[in-house]
Amino acid sequence: MIFKLAFKNILGYGWRSLINVFIIALVLIGLIWMEGMWFSWLNLAKTQSTQWEFGGGLLRVKSYDPYDVFALEHSHAPIPAQAGNLVASGEIVPVLFSPAVIYPGGRMQNAVVKGIPSQQSLLRFPSQALMPTEANPYPAIVGKTMAKSAQLQEGDAFTIRVKDSSGAFNAVDLQISQIMDCPVPSLDQGTVWMDLQALQDLKQLPGMATTLALRDQSLASVASPEFKLIPPNEFFADLNQMVKTKASGQASLFVMMIFLAMLAIFDTQALAIFKRRREIGMLSALGMTKARIILLFTTEGALYMLGATVLTAVMGFPLFWYFARIGFSLPKGYDSFGVAGFNEALKFVYPLPLILFTLMLMFLLTVFVSWLPARKIARLMPTEALRGK
Amino acid sequence: MKRLFTILLLAFSLALTAKYPDPASILRAIDANTRFTSLKSTTRMVIKSRRASRTVSSINYSKGDNSFFSEYTSPPRDKGTKMLKLGGNLWIYNPGTDRIVQISGNMLNQSVMGSDLSYEDFMEENSLLQDYNAVIEGEATYDKREVWNIMLTAKRKGLSYPKKRIYVDKERLLPLYEQWFSSSGKLLKTVRSDQVSRIGNRWYPKHVVFKDELKEGSGTDYYVDSIAFDLKIPDAIFSKGSLKK
Repeated sequence: MIFKLAFKNILGYGWRSLINVFIIALVLIGLIWMEGMWFSWLNLAKTQSTQWEFGGGLLRVKSYDPYDVFALEHSHAPIPAQAGNLVASGEIVPVLFSPAVIYPGGRMQNAVVKGIPSQQSLLRFPSQALMPTEANPYPAIVGKTMAKSAQLQEGDAFTIRVKDSSGAFNAVDLQISQIMDCPVPSLDQGTVWMDLQALQDLKQLPGMATTLALRDQSLASVASPEFKLIPPNEFFADLNQMVKTKASGQASLFVMMIFLAMLAIFDTQALAIFKRRREIGMLSALGMTKARIILLFTTEGALYMLGATVLTAVMGFPLFWYFARIGFSLPKGYDSFGVAGFNEALKFVYPLPLILFTLMLMFLLTVFVSWLPARKIARLMPTEALRGK
Repeated sequence: MKRLFTILLLAFSLALTAKYPDPASILRAIDANTRFTSLKSTTRMVIKSRRASRTVSSINYSKGDNSFFSEYTSPPRDKGTKMLKLGGNLWIYNPGTDRIVQISGNMLNQSVMGSDLSYEDFMEENSLLQDYNAVIEGEATYDKREVWNIMLTAKRKGLSYPKKRIYVDKERLLPLYEQWFSSSGKLLKTVRSDQVSRIGNRWYPKHVVFKDELKEGSGTDYYVDSIAFDLKIPDAIFSKGSLKK
């Protein structure tokens, strides 16, 4: 009976109800859209990093510290002997890092040079372009961002200078064989890629590597004491932290929107209680307990939320579908922001637990703000209420 | 017949060798000209970039190979910047930020004030005799002076330039032109010295042009305005405390 009565009352409010439902629906659409975006971005960034760098697992020399550029010169160790066959079969991809100075167009620029086997196919990295040819004995690959900052184009030659294992300078002329569209900025910005063998020869570091990308984690058993297995949560820690920070920054906007929506419901309910004193008195005189009257008003609030959920599905579906199918492309230039997942259209995924959580949160908040003004009813005397006082 | 050929070849090579002095004695003489127990100098470095050139003046103190202190006196932008080398360590003091920064690792590869010299070059100890084996490869004329063409190869690991070719003035025993190579033989830097003057009992260049051969441009001119050798320099100058003074 309460539900029926509440439903009739909501319909009776007309436009006021519709506006409330519309505002809640807008907030719901925004929340689901935003959560879908963060979730999808994190997902895409992790997928891209896995495909391009992490593989099925990653071993890294213990002396390597991604936050210490000074440690780079000595961050290498012999590729474990037991990994030899797996490297040859492409199950393990060794990569060697070294600080370098490059001279594109006669300009001096600091860089990191990384060597990767040109035959590897484990990672999505286009290493085939590093295969030496007669015309280009020292091919190199750079990402779009690096190409832009160093003003390099395909076919351009430049000198690279490194320190070899004896501490002496060694230099070679590289020629750009490909400018890659790399979604993982750490593989692009300030980085020059060359064939592993060529870099090992240049550095006089035969059989050395900084990281070993594995087909799957079970291959980690080949690690020598100089290497350590990097678990995914450590590898993606920065990415997770960044998404968390950005999402919480964005969330403040939605907290404000939720607050405004709740204010509208609170306001409607408070006004209704003031206007419907006679009705409350009548219901009370007819034998309805105060608790049931409060329940009636709270149910009315909850019905707003129910209506908003239906409206969200109707209004939001085209939007959600569009972003799931066509995706969300960031304007050009965003891919140089130093974050993975910015170079292609972000196709949204809406995970059910997140949607349910959002709906539940909104439902509880709506019920709460509907109940809040309804508490006043408990203090009303039926006789005074009948008289409208 | 074979024996006779060998004897003739040996005699010919001996005659060739006898033509040239002992290369080690040349390196010793170069070291005597360029190395010192202590030094105080005022210098100007003219750094030419694509758009403009600027002159950085400094006052410098050195003690042996391991201690070096320099303070920039102009232009106003760089005035007060100080550089201290102690053994294998190098620090820079920037008066703008009032901070001392240690230059190490890959930062040593960076150029000094945009010049053709890297911090690494400052860190090199410069006894040719101790560091390099020398072979005289011929004679030539350079800048109207008779010179020995000497190829140097590193005696030990850890030298930035494992091969050097130097053209040494036969009379003054001072390199007038140097080519510094990488392990693979690629020419990395050249050093041209002129305005060679007699200072006490040594010959010393008053003008040196350093050129990073991988970089575009015409190099960095280094002028020695005044120089004094073997002075008594207080040890306190070569301490980190003097950087902030």
